[in-house]
Amino acid sequence: MKKFYWNIVFLITLSTSAQVNWERERGEVQLPVELFHSTYAVNLPTAETIGSRELEIEISHRFIPTIKSGSKDFWGLDGPVINRLALSYGITSSTQISLGRSNLYDNYELSIKQKLYENDNELFPFMLTFNGGTAWNSDHPVIESSDSKAFQFFAQLVFNTMYDKKLGLGVVPSYLHNSHPACKENQYSFTLGTYLQFYLSEVFSIVWEYNPTVTGWRDYHNPMSFGLEIETGGHFFKIFLSNSTDLNQTQFLSGADKSFDDGDLRLGFMITRLLFL
Amino acid sequence: MKRFLSAMILLSSIIIAQEYHVNKSEDNLVKFISDAPLENFEGVTNYIDGYMYLQSLDDLTDNQIYFEVDLTTLDTGIGLRNRHMRDNYLETNKYRFAFFQGKIGKLEKVLEDEYSAEVKGTMFIHGVTNEITINGSIRKIDSGFFIETEFPISLVDYNIDIPQLMFMKIDEVMQLQLKFYLESITQEEE
Repeated sequence: MKKFYWNIVFLITLSTSAQVNWERERGEVQLPVELFHSTYAVNLPTAETIGSRELEIEISHRFIPTIKSGSKDFWGLDGPVINRLALSYGITSSTQISLGRSNLYDNYELSIKQKLYENDNELFPFMLTFNGGTAWNSDHPVIESSDSKAFQFFAQLVFNTMYDKKLGLGVVPSYLHNSHPACKENQYSFTLGTYLQFYLSEVFSIVWEYNPTVTGWRDYHNPMSFGLEIETGGHFFKIFLSNSTDLNQTQFLSGADKSFDDGDLRLGFMITRLLFL
Repeated sequence: MKRFLSAMILLSSIIIAQEYHVNKSEDNLVKFISDAPLENFEGVTNYIDGYMYLQSLDDLTDNQIYFEVDLTTLDTGIGLRNRHMRDNYLETNKYRFAFFQGKIGKLEKVLEDEYSAEVKGTMFIHGVTNEITINGSIRKIDSGFFIETEFPISLVDYNIDIPQLMFMKIDEVMQLQLKFYLESITQEEE
């Protein structure tokens, strides 16, 4: 019996002599919370910022004639257009600054986007981000560019969550100061934006956005938009139908001129490209 | 009899081979290079771990070499590209590690402390295993070894699907570069 026992020990020792002691020691790396893919839904921002030292170039158009114009205005593509060119830069992985210009009143917009909070949870991941800034109407038909009324300010809190990496929901309460520069009285607006985005595949997604004014001044209608997003490498291509033609945030937050229900929709697109410095 | 067996056990632990672990405090580097026309980029990480197990450089019987790379840590410099790489191509939530397990088949002395090695084994990436042969250099240093190797990895072999959409420029064959330090752990533990 004893002999048998020793034989076992001997065998075990022999077999373990070829065993390695190595074990994995490092745990899992904490990855950033990533919900929406792009930094914008349609007009409203998502809680995402671009990465540190990254540069994002944006080109957006909204065609003014409605799609009702048909082939005469080529469903709006003949123009005229409202356009926006913008550059964003990631100062850190959670802070980005943007400078944009829209041809509507030659509106220059300087803004900052700051991630505030990320909840890394499988069931209920969410992000909270601040976005805000100032805009200068440098060529307004009524207001002198040097007038203090030529400046507008906005601040937004962006809440994003996502279900199963497929269906994203955003809620964006916004405050806009000096909503209607041409108005003698100083106007303000509170809006409560919502958007939904459904990711069909790694390339295609559909997006819907609605930004009703809760209180304060508003143009005739609440802006509503829907469209398709195509994501390829460092690019996002988005094509929309919307009752709004505004692009810079201070202009968009003040409401839309046409009615969504009447089908007065305009074609629009946005192209962004990420670059690394 | 008992004494003899005890001696045998003791002996078997003395002739135990040396084990070397990746020294994680050193400047290890894992890099892949995608060299497609118009757009070339690299992904880097220092999250390599693993071991080498052998009698000595003169006695290759029963040697083993294993290393793994945590793919979630690969950084290409652009956040969105990292995200695409993790979620769409490498699917790191399912296959977090790429690893290689093999044996040194041939060893040739090229310099005083440097050997060129041919290592045959199995590479596991993205849920797919392939038998491959890697050529590299093993340099003897004070604390253990310094390993350096470079070899190609074909994405098709590992079932990594890159959609051929506009502006998607990724090389089908990536060049992998590995540099890492191994330190002896046997002395400390015996």
